[in-house]
Amino acid sequence: MAAVTQDTAVSTGRITRTFIYLVLVLFALFYLLPLYVMGVNSLKPLNEITGGNMMALPSQWTLEPWRSAWSTAQIGVEPTGLKPYFLNSILMVVPAVAISTIIGALNGYVLTKWRFRGDTWVFGLMLFSCFIPFQIVLIPMAVVLGKLGLAGTVPGLILVHVVYGIGFTTLYFRNYYASFPTELVRAAMIDGAGFFRIFWRILLPVSGPIAVVSVIWQFTNIWNDFLFGVSFGGTSQPMTVALNNLVQSSTGVKEYNVHFAGAILAALPTLLVYIVAGRYFVRGLMAGSVKG
Amino acid sequence: MGFLDIRNVTKSYGPVQVLHRIDIAVEEGEFLVLVGPSGCGKSTLLNMIAGLEAITDGEIAIKGRVVNGVHPSKRNIAMVFQSYALYPNMTVGQNMTFGLEMHGVPKPERDRALADVAKLLQIETLLDRKPGQLSGGQRQRVAMGRALVRNPDVFLFDEPLSNLDAKLRVDMRTEIKKLHQKLKTTIVYVTHDQIEALTLSTRIAVMNKGHVQQLGTPKEIYDTPANLFVATFMGSPAMNIVPATVVMENGHPHAALTDADGGVHRLRFSQANLAAWEGKPILLGIRPEAITDPEGADRKSGNIQPFSNRVTVTEPAGSDTFVTMTLSGKDVIARMRADANVTPGQSFDFAINMEKAVAFDPATEARIPA
Amino acid sequence: MATEADFRTRLQDWLPKLVLAPSFAVTLLFVYGFILFTIVLSFTGSKMLPKFTWVGFENYEKLFALPAWNTAIVNIAIFATLYIVICTVIGLMLAIFLDQKIRGEGMLRPIYLYPMALSFIVTGTAWKWFLDPGIGLERIMHQWGWESFSFTWIKDGEMALYTIVIAAVWQTSGFVMAMFLAGLRGIDNETLKAAQIDGASNWQLYRRIVIPLLRPAFLSAFVILSHLAIKSYDLVIALTGGGPGRATEMPATFMYSYTFTRNQMGIGASSAVIMLMTIAAIMVPYLYAELKEKK
Repeated sequence: MAAVTQDTAVSTGRITRTFIYLVLVLFALFYLLPLYVMGVNSLKPLNEITGGNMMALPSQWTLEPWRSAWSTAQIGVEPTGLKPYFLNSILMVVPAVAISTIIGALNGYVLTKWRFRGDTWVFGLMLFSCFIPFQIVLIPMAVVLGKLGLAGTVPGLILVHVVYGIGFTTLYFRNYYASFPTELVRAAMIDGAGFFRIFWRILLPVSGPIAVVSVIWQFTNIWNDFLFGVSFGGTSQPMTVALNNLVQSSTGVKEYNVHFAGAILAALPTLLVYIVAGRYFVRGLMAGSVKG
Repeated sequence: MGFLDIRNVTKSYGPVQVLHRIDIAVEEGEFLVLVGPSGCGKSTLLNMIAGLEAITDGEIAIKGRVVNGVHPSKRNIAMVFQSYALYPNMTVGQNMTFGLEMHGVPKPERDRALADVAKLLQIETLLDRKPGQLSGGQRQRVAMGRALVRNPDVFLFDEPLSNLDAKLRVDMRTEIKKLHQKLKTTIVYVTHDQIEALTLSTRIAVMNKGHVQQLGTPKEIYDTPANLFVATFMGSPAMNIVPATVVMENGHPHAALTDADGGVHRLRFSQANLAAWEGKPILLGIRPEAITDPEGADRKSGNIQPFSNRVTVTEPAGSDTFVTMTLSGKDVIARMRADANVTPGQSFDFAINMEKAVAFDPATEARIPA
Repeated sequence: MATEADFRTRLQDWLPKLVLAPSFAVTLLFVYGFILFTIVLSFTGSKMLPKFTWVGFENYEKLFALPAWNTAIVNIAIFATLYIVICTVIGLMLAIFLDQKIRGEGMLRPIYLYPMALSFIVTGTAWKWFLDPGIGLERIMHQWGWESFSFTWIKDGEMALYTIVIAAVWQTSGFVMAMFLAGLRGIDNETLKAAQIDGASNWQLYRRIVIPLLRPAFLSAFVILSHLAIKSYDLVIALTGGGPGRATEMPATFMYSYTFTRNQMGIGASSAVIMLMTIAAIMVPYLYAELKEKK
């Protein structure tokens, strides 16, 4: 948030203020409602949902739905639970986030501190790639991954996420480095530091805030991705795809409590990240996607 | 051949030429100030000396070695930036020795150089702090220290004082001058502040629109400005420029001027060759301090011309009083002693030191040489 | 004396471009090359696999003759309009309210924002069962004594689309709020004080001064929301699966099913091209203006 000032000059009457608080609290309840529903119902036996009230607290608390969602629920045709898919997601997210962030940092450094003729065009082309509907690349990507022998593998998904993530990471680092004084880079040049040394010794040490933003952004986007996962996941499907398979399965009884537990499991990593570093997340969304 | 030679240097960005054939030879130990309004190309020229911008045409040589295309770190120069450009993540000491480290100077030697410079600049106590913990003046010192540690052939200063407040700026100005007198280093210094230029330099290059308008000592620049631009840019308040006609009287050229009430005054020139301009319009340039009350006039001058005029505004400024009047339709400022008894709206007897007057050709705006 | 640049200087000149080159090449290939590939495919008779038999505009003609595609277009138009308008209204309202020196702002803001951190699949799952008449909202109301309460939108072909609007608004309106709040906090307080001294009421203050000053935030919100709307695939899949029947078919789901399950790759490609063109029509002028400004 802008550091200008916290308060507006607007003053309001008592009735208006009561109304404002009422609206704000009602919306807070609206936003919390699904989380409450998921949480409460993931801790009751199925018959309490089908025979009881979704809003009620469990009369018999149980962790069974969580256990089932994690290790025994039927995902597709295998009763493996979500565990292997959770691992797939981790194996995919960690390298993809790391690689795309490093590339984005270097790109942002070049695009702001080593400007050349046409650099705005290069950046514009990379930036536009963040906003394409991915449907336009699905077919050729499937072909290319097939040719590379990466179809249905975790490395294949990493490749896809890095390719379509560098636009955003580049945007973040470019905007951040743009406000980093160019005179510092010039001073370092005169001091005798080269391209990589300037990056490593001068820029990287002050890149903490934007690196956090980039990591959070990429982590949430890649963890939450469904389209690429379902298209190219094959036998290495990520968590989102597995969750969808669990929920949509048409065979047997619908175990709502297991679905909710699974949904929370799928949401947990990003929620945790958000709770730990949400402040940066918001700031990053602002800095990057709003200011272009 | 100078110590630092700028030979016919040109800079273009695509079709736009921002520097036109700059030719300056700087001697060892000289303090050259590049001064001019923003956009005049002074910083571009400095950056080209540093190697931070490419030279379109011409050559720059340091100690006889042409440095076109040589990496900034291999020119043996040091630069002090406007924003100081201190590395925020390093301590003062690390900041100052970073350049030596990059050049592979061993640690004990670095530490010795650092200790020497820190003592010289009296910043020994700051060495372990981060730049963020320093005041503006301290940062300025560290930035200079970083340059000094390198012991370079040429120091480059890019508006180093413009981020300081007025008082500190004056202090640091004196400090830089002292440092230069002590170390006898070669300095190229960019500023838009004409007072800085006049006080610090041994020579000044006044620049405008990519051209060097005049290159000379502060006295030459101030007393005999090459053209209207230099005349009005250097000095504060600026030189008064008044349209006048040259008339002959008793065989001497005079400037004919009209005062606020339509009365005509003829002021004798000291410059005899202006006789050639008889009957033609010129622009008369007079510095404010050359117009005084009769008692305050320069006794050593051989050509004090009295005249009276109505005063429009007086502005007491402590040590002086600035008086505004109208001459030939232009506002003219005179610099009086603080105790001169001047009242707005009333007529006052002035004395003009015509020895200090200069004349400009209205067509070319160049000074008519004596 | 050499006037030639020394080796290190020349290397330093090339290094930045060398570092950027792989990313640029990858973007050219994987984004623009792929776009070109898909455009070419949309003019071929590809079925299950890419096949380069030229059929001209046949796929586009077929596409626009398909009832499913027309449903998808109508749906995306309704969905995008409602989604953008409602998100903007709620976001702006919450931002203005939160900007009134609210006690507990620090607690409310993260509550409004956290849905943005969730996957659409999670959001879809939560709302799918909460809105399910058999176990969710309708039954809750019945059990609480409101026997006549009826809420069957999610099973109703006419209304299912609006459940997607609800879930989507739930997920992103808090984020829009944050954008507006940042905009509000960026407005110079003195401007507001000046307007108050000029005698503006609170309402006039917002309508005449604040909201016009938020123009950039409106634009950004519009661009981001329309981009999210057109890409919306996951939420539809998780919430309604495109059903009941085809009631909630969207261009994104249409493209996927025609390309990968119905083996009509040519038609799928042509639908993707239409999607790209729609987004480009919004994004290109926006990005162009933003980049131009920055230069």
